[in-house]
Amino acid sequence: MNEHRRQILDMLAAGTINADEAERLIAALETEPEAGAQPASTRAESTTSVKSGAKGKVKYLRVLVEADESMTGMKGSTTVNVRVPLQLLRAGVRLASLIPPQAHEQLDEAFSKHGVPLNVSQIKPENLDELIDHLEDLTVDVDGKDGNQTRVRVFCE
Amino acid sequence: MTPSLALVRIHTTGGKNFRLWLPLFLLWIPFLLLLPLILLALLAVTLAGRMNPWRVTNALWAVLCSLPGTDVRVASDGNRVTVRIL
Repeated sequence: MNEHRRQILDMLAAGTINADEAERLIAALETEPEAGAQPASTRAESTTSVKSGAKGKVKYLRVLVEADESMTGMKGSTTVNVRVPLQLLRAGVRLASLIPPQAHEQLDEAFSKHGVPLNVSQIKPENLDELIDHLEDLTVDVDGKDGNQTRVRVFCE
Repeated sequence: MTPSLALVRIHTTGGKNFRLWLPLFLLWIPFLLLLPLILLALLAVTLAGRMNPWRVTNALWAVLCSLPGTDVRVASDGNRVTVRIL
């Protein structure tokens, strides 16, 4: 475990800081290596370069979904904001590549039954890297009944 | 780095707030105690599936270690749910 993170957890356990403060400190710790390493004037530029696909700098895949009530059946609009570390995607793809070939057909069938036309044998780590390289900012608008819309944004950050 | 904390926050329109810190690092204790059994089960499953146990263990470990940073937020009608893994 990271030394700074351990110190924060120790302080939390000892009651020196409360849960809110611990959360803020850990969040600051996560952003420090990227933000702290460069002067403030260049931060905006570097964000742009990350968005323009600088490989190795992007750390997370962000999926934002905004749906109105007609799409979800719930009262008011619903937003879903998911941040997934790209490392997790890579690890998942590595895990998927270990599935024995004899199970691929069964999996493909099961996926297509649920409306996902996925070919498991095509999931390879190099495909993911290629996808990340090209994934700058993808926006998908889904038209629903009565002209209502759901917006899905997928991008790396 | 393996996940050390999980934070679950629920905020409802009625003003009720629920916040739960889950110290995931404490799971190391039962995990280490059960490690021989886990390894045996993993070995049996991987051999039955004709997979390389070492590669499977590596891949599972990589998944576990890449969980920190995961953040899920859902908001609807003033209700908000946040799950963060630190």
